Amino acid sequence: MSRYFLIRIGQSLLAIWGIVTIVFVVTRMLGDPAVLLLPLGTPDSQIQELRSSLGLERPMVVQYLDFLGHAVVGDFGLSYQSFRPAMEVVLERMPATAILTASSLALGAVLGAATGFAAALARGRFLEFVVMCFALAGQATPVFWLGILLVLFFAVELGWFPTGGWDGPASLVLPTMALGIFVAANITRLFRSSMIETLSEDYIRTARAKGLMPRTIFMVHAARNALIPVVTMLALLAAELLGGSAVTETVFSWPGVGRLLVQAIDSKDFPVIQAGVFLIATIFVCINFLVDLLYTLLDPRIRLGR
Amino acid sequence: MLKVTCGLVGRLMRRIAWATGTMLIAGVALPVQAETLTIALSSSVNTLDPTQAQVVGTDVSVAAHLYSSLVARNADSKLVGVLAEKWYPEGDSTWVFDLKAGVTFADGEPLDASVVKWNIDRIRNPETKSRNRAWFDPVSGVEVVSPTQIKIHTKGAYPTLPDQLSMIFFLSPKWMESHNPANEVYGTGEFKLKEFVAGDRLVLVRNEAYKGAASPFDSVVFKIVPEPAARVAAISTGEADLAFDIPLEEVERLKGGGKTNAGWVASSRSMVVRMNTAKPPFSDNVKLRQAVNYAIDKQAIVDGLLGGLGTVSNCQIMTPAYFGYNADLKPYPYDPEKAKQLIAESGLVSGTQIELQVPMGRYFMASEISQVVAAQLQEVGLDAVIREYDFSSWVQPYSRGEMGAMSLMGQAWPTLDADGQLGLYASQNPTAYFKNADYDAALKAGRATNDPKDRLVHYKQATEIMCREAPVIFLFAQPFTYATSARIEWKARGDDWIRAADVVLK
Repeated sequence: MSRYFLIRIGQSLLAIWGIVTIVFVVTRMLGDPAVLLLPLGTPDSQIQELRSSLGLERPMVVQYLDFLGHAVVGDFGLSYQSFRPAMEVVLERMPATAILTASSLALGAVLGAATGFAAALARGRFLEFVVMCFALAGQATPVFWLGILLVLFFAVELGWFPTGGWDGPASLVLPTMALGIFVAANITRLFRSSMIETLSEDYIRTARAKGLMPRTIFMVHAARNALIPVVTMLALLAAELLGGSAVTETVFSWPGVGRLLVQAIDSKDFPVIQAGVFLIATIFVCINFLVDLLYTLLDPRIRLGR
Repeated sequence: MLKVTCGLVGRLMRRIAWATGTMLIAGVALPVQAETLTIALSSSVNTLDPTQAQVVGTDVSVAAHLYSSLVARNADSKLVGVLAEKWYPEGDSTWVFDLKAGVTFADGEPLDASVVKWNIDRIRNPETKSRNRAWFDPVSGVEVVSPTQIKIHTKGAYPTLPDQLSMIFFLSPKWMESHNPANEVYGTGEFKLKEFVAGDRLVLVRNEAYKGAASPFDSVVFKIVPEPAARVAAISTGEADLAFDIPLEEVERLKGGGKTNAGWVASSRSMVVRMNTAKPPFSDNVKLRQAVNYAIDKQAIVDGLLGGLGTVSNCQIMTPAYFGYNADLKPYPYDPEKAKQLIAESGLVSGTQIELQVPMGRYFMASEISQVVAAQLQEVGLDAVIREYDFSSWVQPYSRGEMGAMSLMGQAWPTLDADGQLGLYASQNPTAYFKNADYDAALKAGRATNDPKDRLVHYKQATEIMCREAPVIFLFAQPFTYATSARIEWKARGDDWIRAADVVLK
């Protein structure tokens, strides 16, 4: 067992290193940030000077080793734009993203589980059709479009919530709805099919044969087992949302990581791009790791299979 | 695909907007107490460090509320004194600034001539790595005459130094010993920083120590709202008092809203199609360059695409707001027949493909404008091919002097002076794509004196040469749209500056 975890940790570190390396190479291919950082008409000599003060004139290998050496101790250098440590610039945007992720996952999970369960129970009936239509629509609707509609209706027309920004709980409602509906749509479809599959298992038939109450069968025997893939899905969605959803954040003027990274890419702020991607990759890998752990707890077969 | 979706969504949005327009309700009314002005900025504030601030529309404008400069440009584009009482050239290589006495930082440290010198020397010092150092390249030394007088010596004349100084703000040398201006603020401006939520908002409150005229606002909030539809929504609900870059079709609607107002002003940015005169087909071919100017119906673009918001450039890359604007020049008329005739005379091999580069995401309606331009060039028989680029991948070759045959772009110079704006086409500039000895000489002469009348003569000549030689297709001044809440009035200005001082409370 501990050997398995050691291997998993090794794999995780390798994955983070790989991602960070790819991003390093890709950012260098974006081109020269010095030109973008100085005012138009700056003499070439000063552009050259800035380039060398940013250390960009050195050979790629030297830059890379220097970057790795500092990155392992968490130092990603100063942001080219804000002159503050890049990791700090990314981390200060993390709370906004984390809160939005948590609230929209919670909304999505509850809503998705409820509708998915209902759809599975109502198999072949009209209710299932309605629920699935909504789920499909929810998944196919672009979040930014839904977001703008929510703003127009709830903020502009009804005046219930602010149109955007991050200022108190009221400002969390609309972005949570926009992302939560997207999450719920995913969960609904997955939970429904997982339920249907579980209900055809042998042990359900056994449970029925034992004369258990349908409610016990559905809630205890079926739903608990059907939740396993849902947990994975939620974890993956969490990891994805923690990387920031640039589009939602833009529509709601939400000061999260996604918007920051898009802006950093646009202005070629290499340290911020690297710090951001490192952080997101680490979160992703950690969550995956946790899911594996959780799996062994939820499903004894996986634990015993090892 | 994306474009199709956007168009569709845009149409739907307008429907919904139209439907809800009549039902707009006012924002939640605040209890009458402290007056707060909320300004929606279209992009993020990058740094609080005033010596690194470059973007006028965000960082520099915010710095101007927190710090003082020697001079400032007000809404009618005149320079007014802030720290400076008056300023005047002394001969052709010295500027004298008389400072107001009694300006102090919060702890009583005076902001006098020696502090001004310390700040300018700090920016000039390569160790500081100020990105704005180039502005002070022509400066040879700063001399403190008395606590209230400073002389800035320049290598030759530097007529635009006062304009440039409107973007330079002064830090306290003592405070700087133990603080970092990228994280904290300690200035002598009208406001102090109360709260900075990165990526979301800056909250400024009145600086009690400020001695100038008191602002009607106790607090100024800059909110970062990158999405245009979100800015419109924020104005509609009264969450923001002032917002910029409002979509054209929303301007009319917000104007008639009753609860809101909107408008536009010609910005200082001239839209042009540049031609690379270092490469065929435009090198040594003034007839072809003139022909494309005749081929484009500028007014039709303004009326058809911009809904009339925009003013056709008068055969120069400056608007009347610039020093050095030439009022005598007129646009090339739209004359496709003349264009065809000139193309025939130009000796252009028929079937020559001409690339029209379009950097995306930076200029207003770049994609639509370039399509009209290309279509009109095709009408007179030129094979213009549009290539759209992401801005950052376009700017690399452009800044190295490797631009394609043609490229759409907008050009402005923050000091609103011909020296900077026309200097973009001086042949020593790697991005000039134009080489004309007479033009260079006129610019050089315009820079050689601090006498405005004399300078105007040289810029008149330079603009005439540029109009005739046509290194660009002169299009129009890019419109700068804005919207306000009903309770304020904004003295609209097209030079990107955003100041609470330009806002009047009704």
